[in-house]
Amino acid sequence: MASNFSIDKKDIFFTLFDLFEVEKIYKDIPAFRDQTREDFEMILSEAANFATNTIAPINQPGDKNPVRFEKGEVIVPKEYLEAYKQFCENGWVATSGDPEFGGQGLPNGIHSSASEMFFAASIAFYMYPGLTMAAARLIKAYGTEEMKKKYVHRLYTGEWQGTMCLTEPSAGSAVGDLKATAKREKDHYLITGQKIFISAGEHNMTSNHIHLVLARVEGAPKGIKGVSLFLVPKFMVNDDGTLGARNDVECIGIEHKMGIKASATCTLSFGENGKCIGYLIGEENKGIQYMFMMMNEARMGVGLQGLACASAAYLEALKYAQERIQGTSIEDFKNADAPRIPIIKHPDVKKMLATMKAYTEGMRMLCYQASVFADLAENSLDPEIKEKNHGLLDLYTPIVKAYCSDMGFKVTELAVQVFGGYGYCSEYPVEQYLRDCKIASIYEGTNGIQAMDLLGRKISMKGGLLLMTFLNDFNVWCEENTNHPAFGELVKKLEATKNRLAEVSMKFAELSMGGDMAYPAFSATNYLHMFGDTVLGWLWVKAAIVAEKKLNELFAKKGIKTDEAKAKEIAENPDAAFYDGKIKTAHFFVNHLMTRTEWLAQSILSLDRSGLDINFIQ
Amino acid sequence: MKILVTAKRVTDPDMKIKVKPDGTGIVTDGMNYKINPFCEIAVEEALRIREKGNQAEIVVVGIGPKEAATELRTALAMGADRAILVLIDKYYDSTVVAKILKKIVEEEKPDLILTGKQAVDDDSNQASQMLAALLGYPQACFASKIELTDGGKKAKVTREVDGGLETIQVELPAIVSADLRLNEPRYPTVPNILKAKKKPLKEVPVDSLGIDVTPKTEFVKMTEPPTRKAGIKVPDVATLVDKLKNESKVL
Repeated sequence: MASNFSIDKKDIFFTLFDLFEVEKIYKDIPAFRDQTREDFEMILSEAANFATNTIAPINQPGDKNPVRFEKGEVIVPKEYLEAYKQFCENGWVATSGDPEFGGQGLPNGIHSSASEMFFAASIAFYMYPGLTMAAARLIKAYGTEEMKKKYVHRLYTGEWQGTMCLTEPSAGSAVGDLKATAKREKDHYLITGQKIFISAGEHNMTSNHIHLVLARVEGAPKGIKGVSLFLVPKFMVNDDGTLGARNDVECIGIEHKMGIKASATCTLSFGENGKCIGYLIGEENKGIQYMFMMMNEARMGVGLQGLACASAAYLEALKYAQERIQGTSIEDFKNADAPRIPIIKHPDVKKMLATMKAYTEGMRMLCYQASVFADLAENSLDPEIKEKNHGLLDLYTPIVKAYCSDMGFKVTELAVQVFGGYGYCSEYPVEQYLRDCKIASIYEGTNGIQAMDLLGRKISMKGGLLLMTFLNDFNVWCEENTNHPAFGELVKKLEATKNRLAEVSMKFAELSMGGDMAYPAFSATNYLHMFGDTVLGWLWVKAAIVAEKKLNELFAKKGIKTDEAKAKEIAENPDAAFYDGKIKTAHFFVNHLMTRTEWLAQSILSLDRSGLDINFIQ
Repeated sequence: MKILVTAKRVTDPDMKIKVKPDGTGIVTDGMNYKINPFCEIAVEEALRIREKGNQAEIVVVGIGPKEAATELRTALAMGADRAILVLIDKYYDSTVVAKILKKIVEEEKPDLILTGKQAVDDDSNQASQMLAALLGYPQACFASKIELTDGGKKAKVTREVDGGLETIQVELPAIVSADLRLNEPRYPTVPNILKAKKKPLKEVPVDSLGIDVTPKTEFVKMTEPPTRKAGIKVPDVATLVDKLKNESKVL
């Protein structure tokens, strides 16, 4: 069955322009001042067209005919070559890149939204340019002038591929254990070592690869503090920009994976012949600090992958549920001749769809909100706003990464369920979303690592300032809205959840002050999810308030006053139905999904360590 | 040379259209709009003619409400140089379109006028032919290939006609309407989208053109096509034959 791939442009526009009012925010930032909502809408509409018409059609072929490894070369599915070329020509690689280096200069908020669409169409495809962009930005931030001149422009155009090389066989989550070495020699270093799981590490879509490699300079301190960052080109680049000799770096194999099969996951061998030239980025032993810039960006990207898979799978399931006829209405259960109905009318299916909608659109709000933090952190003219948003971005990054990859996977799983037996068959598109999505909770720092990052680093950072900033804003907002005529009840429930989150956070502080490391680590994932649910609840109620205002404006404009006429308008007018759907989903989320925070809180506050203490035997 | 191209704003052909219960038109709530796909092909062709090395200014024209500027911006983002939007806010038909375009042609004096063969909303397929008649220009409709000849003084046009292809040569200035297979339109690139807003877009109120905009046709009523009735089972072949003969009268 052909895929019914679609993009929820209406919700994307609502979230960006009505909920977060990004146009107003960007008006105050000189770099974006000239850009209007009209520009953004046009760019995003074209991104949607490109994603739908060029990328989505190669997603399934790429899954059926994965990347191949032949004699040191990695060959992408043939459909990828033309799509990649067009993608680059149309300027989609560096949408948020600096125009001075050939980027398009758009805000992160708009870039994230376009990225969501490209990931939804195919994670495997968009990973290639996504990594290139992140690598280029790192070189631009920390590289020498010469490096910037030589590499950034040609990465921004997609002519070359950028990669990040961290993982080694015994240094994955524990990246400080890495063994790759770098030996100083004149103006460069000689790199030796092996890196695994390198996405886009080798392939035939670009003429060169620029690897960013973590390695240890001889005599460097042990652990993470002795790691430096190097730029290693596959082909050396001459001063006039032409390609020179092949560097001593080679792909020696690729992985065969559960999903994202058209994304090349490579094992790279550096300095097999002792001749791999690398150039130091920044200072020695500060590599991880620089790499974190790329990693943070990549973590946001992985969160977007979770959202994107969820959105694609949810929209497929919604369409299917509206068309698939099966069974009769529960009210007609005694009548064998009752008309057969589309499965969306069955309450259990409706619950699944409501759950998918609530998480998907909720994650969209979360991801875009974090992108707006990033824009303000990078570009605000007010140092106070800059710093505050930097803190909020730091706080949200592990949540975006882990919550969206976990819940995104959950949504794809529900989509398979809605499709029933067909969902389990590879002829239908949803099982691929489930397989493609699974990696998101693993790479770029497993979700366990993200939970530890949130609880162990972000919450205690600057003496707890990030959490305090978050809670203060939340408190102020609750006070302002607690008597909201339409949503006061929801606000009160939200307030209680927020207080519970604060209570749990305090408990962790108490435990760690008492020297307990294991129990907080054991509970960190629960805490991250509790945090994520609470933020989503907040965002949902905010969205409901905006939607209600919009809906009332619509009624007023048309002179609709009675409840009957309103119901009729909602039934007939897709705009009215959209706003009404937002309001109802907010209620559903707060009452049926956000309540999960209570069992998470109970689990954490039980302080029951039995899970930690089991003696596992075979 | 100068090429004038039309870009009509139409309802998104991928959306479900609902007719208003009183039959005065379609429900436009929540409707998306797009550039008419045949016009998009015409714009693409103008760009390709220019890319073949012909020095050409490409002017794109739209007729409609203020919002129709969005579709003109799309054409500008594809690569057209400037746009003219003729503002009209009442019912108009193909004759009015032809008269408006005639006026624009008289002002702009293009060497070639490229249009979509028809708009996918009302499927009239008349404006181009009427425009040719009003101007007394040669016309070549349903083009699947256009080639400028004679140093850009003529155009050799392959037309899709019933049962095959017909190739004709027209002297410029002429009107050529684009058919589906003429080309595959490009996507606007991100840099071009950002440049598009800096390109001039002139709004022209229709009243300022000094033409009679009374339509020759009258809008009477719009209805949805009748829904297909469910089929019935017939007991035997004889009944089937009888029904085919006497009810549907196909035999």
